[in-house]
Amino acid sequence: MTSATVTGPIAGSKAPGLRVGRVLLYVALCLGALVMITPFVWMVLTAFKSDLEIAKFSWLPGELRWRNFVEAMQTAPFLRYFRNSLFIAIGETAFTLAVCTTAGYALAKLPIRGSKALLSYFILLLLVPFQIILVPLFLIVKSIPLFGGNNILGQGGIGWLNSWWGLIIPLGAAPLFTFLARQFYVSLPNELAQAARVDGLGEFGIFWRIMTPLIKPALITICVFQIEAAWNAFLWPLMITTSDEMRPLQLGLAIFAQNPAEVQWPYLMAGTALATLPMIVMFIFAQKRFVEGMANVGIKG
Amino acid sequence: MSATLERTPTVASPRRDAPAKDSRKLVRSQVRAGWLLLAPALLHSGIFLVIPIIFAVALSFTDYSFGDSWSWVGFENYSVLFGDANFRAAFANTVLYAVVVIPVSMAVSLAIALGLNQKIRGLGFFRTAFYVPTVTATVAIATIWLWIYNPGSGLANGFLSLFGFAPNQWLSNPDTALPSLMVVGIWQGLGTKIIIYLAALQGVSRDLQESAALDGASRWQRFANVTWPALGPVQFFVLVTSIVGTFQVFDLVYVMTDGGPGTETMVLVLDIYQNAFQDLRLGFASAETVILMLLIAVFIGLGRLLQKADVND
Repeated sequence: MTSATVTGPIAGSKAPGLRVGRVLLYVALCLGALVMITPFVWMVLTAFKSDLEIAKFSWLPGELRWRNFVEAMQTAPFLRYFRNSLFIAIGETAFTLAVCTTAGYALAKLPIRGSKALLSYFILLLLVPFQIILVPLFLIVKSIPLFGGNNILGQGGIGWLNSWWGLIIPLGAAPLFTFLARQFYVSLPNELAQAARVDGLGEFGIFWRIMTPLIKPALITICVFQIEAAWNAFLWPLMITTSDEMRPLQLGLAIFAQNPAEVQWPYLMAGTALATLPMIVMFIFAQKRFVEGMANVGIKG
Repeated sequence: MSATLERTPTVASPRRDAPAKDSRKLVRSQVRAGWLLLAPALLHSGIFLVIPIIFAVALSFTDYSFGDSWSWVGFENYSVLFGDANFRAAFANTVLYAVVVIPVSMAVSLAIALGLNQKIRGLGFFRTAFYVPTVTATVAIATIWLWIYNPGSGLANGFLSLFGFAPNQWLSNPDTALPSLMVVGIWQGLGTKIIIYLAALQGVSRDLQESAALDGASRWQRFANVTWPALGPVQFFVLVTSIVGTFQVFDLVYVMTDGGPGTETMVLVLDIYQNAFQDLRLGFASAETVILMLLIAVFIGLGRLLQKADVND
C-alpha cells in the first residue's frame, strides 16, 4: 500500500517464458472464476425454464418465463419469508452494533483492570462453534423469565421460543464483532480522547462523538458481516420457530426443497435466486470494506 | 509483520500532566465508564455462551428429555454413544470430511491468492467471483447443487456426458455421496481463505522479496524462504477457522442428503440435531456435543503442533 512510489520493474526486459506464464495464469484464474460462477448462472437460467424444458439437460431456456417468479411467490409465502429475514437482519445488526462497539471501545481504550484477560476471553469464545451450545441454548431461551407465559423462575411457558426476541438476541453480538471493533479502536491515537477530556467531554461523549465516528469502516464491516450472518442463518430458526409467521427465507427454501421427488425446480431456483441476489448485490457494493474488515480480523490478531 | 496495516498516530505535542489528584479521579471515572460499556457484552456472552457451554457438559451426565423428571446417569450416555451405529458413522464421516476439505481448500485458496497477488488486471472481478459463494446462504448453495447433482437433467451429468461418462446418481450412490458434499464444501469455503491470504501476502515485505530476487533467488526459493514463513500466523488463523467451520457442517447435509443414503453422509451436528429434537434425548445429544467439542480441541492442538514444527524447521 505504502510503497506505490518506487516499484519499478526489477528486470527491464522480460523473458518470453514470463509472458507464457502470465497467459497461463490468466487462463487458470478465469477457469477458476468460471467454476465459481457457473452454478449461479445455471440457477438463474433454470428459474426461467418450463417443466418440460428441465426434463432434459439443456443450457438456455426457450423463453424468459418471468411468471415463474410470480408463481413461485404464490406456491410458498416467499414474500413473507423475505420480510421476516429482513426484520431479523436489521434487528440483529442494530443489537450487535450497540453491544459490540461499546465493549470493543472499553477493551481498547479504557483502563480496566484485566482488560488483557477479558480480550482473551472474547477471543476464546470466538472459537466456540454455535453447534456446541445448541441444546442448552434452546433450553435457556425456552426458560427466559416472564416471556411466553413463563413465571419469574422461567417455568411454565415457552419463553422466547417462536418469538422475534428468540430469533434476534441470542445470535446477535457475537464475540467476533467485539474483537473486530476493538481492533479498530486500538489503532486510534489516544491523544484525541485526551484532548476531548481536557475540553470537558465525558467518557460516553468521547466514545460516542469523538471515537466512534472515526471507525466508520469497522461499523460498515460489522453491519455487512452481521446482515450476512443473520440473512443466511438456518439451524437456529429451524429449531425455535414452529409457525410460518416468523420463518426466515432460508428455512422457507429448505422446506420447499425437502421433497426431491416433487420439487418444482424452476420455482425453487426462482426462490433461491431471490434469496441470494440481495446478499450478492450488497457484497459487490461493500466489497472493498468487506475485504478490509476480513483482513483486519485475520492479520492483526 | 503487518506494518502496512497499522496507522501510525501523528505525534501530538506533549501535554502537561494534570495534578495527581485530578488524574486519579479521572482514571476512576474512566474505569467506571469502561465497565458500564462492557457490561452488556459480558452479560450477553455469559447468558448465551458461557452458561450454555457449562450446561452442555452437565446435561451430558443426565437422562434429561424435556420432561419434569430426570436423573444423573454418570457416563452412561458416553458408553451408549460409542456403541451407537449412527454416532460411529457420524464421527467417521465428520473426521473424513474435515481431513479432506481443510487441506484441499487451504492449498487451493493459497494458490489462487498467490495468482491474484501478481499485480493482475481485473482483481475486483476475480475477488468477487471467488467470494460470491461465501456470501450466499448455505441453504441456497445446497439447493443449487442439489439441482446440479440431479441425476436426470442436472449440470453434473450433462457436463460429463460431453466426455462420454455415464450418468451417476451423485447423492444416492454410497460411493459418491460424501465426496459430492466435499466438493460443495471446498467450493463454498474458498472465498474467505483467498481474501485472508491475499491480505497477508500484501503484508509480506516487498523489500525482502526484491532483495532476494536481486540475490538470484528463484521464484520457488523466494516463496519457500520469504513468503511462506511470513504467512505463519495467518496460516494458523485460517486453519483454526477452517477446523471450526468444517466440523460444524450441517445445512449442506440437511438439505442435500439428510445423512443418507443409509448413514453414508451422517455428520455429527446432524446426528446431534436428530437426537435432540426428533428423539428428544437431550442428555444423549449433549454427550455427543461434548465429544464434538473435544474433537475440535484436538484438531486445533494438532494444528498448533504442525505450526510449531514448521517454524522450527
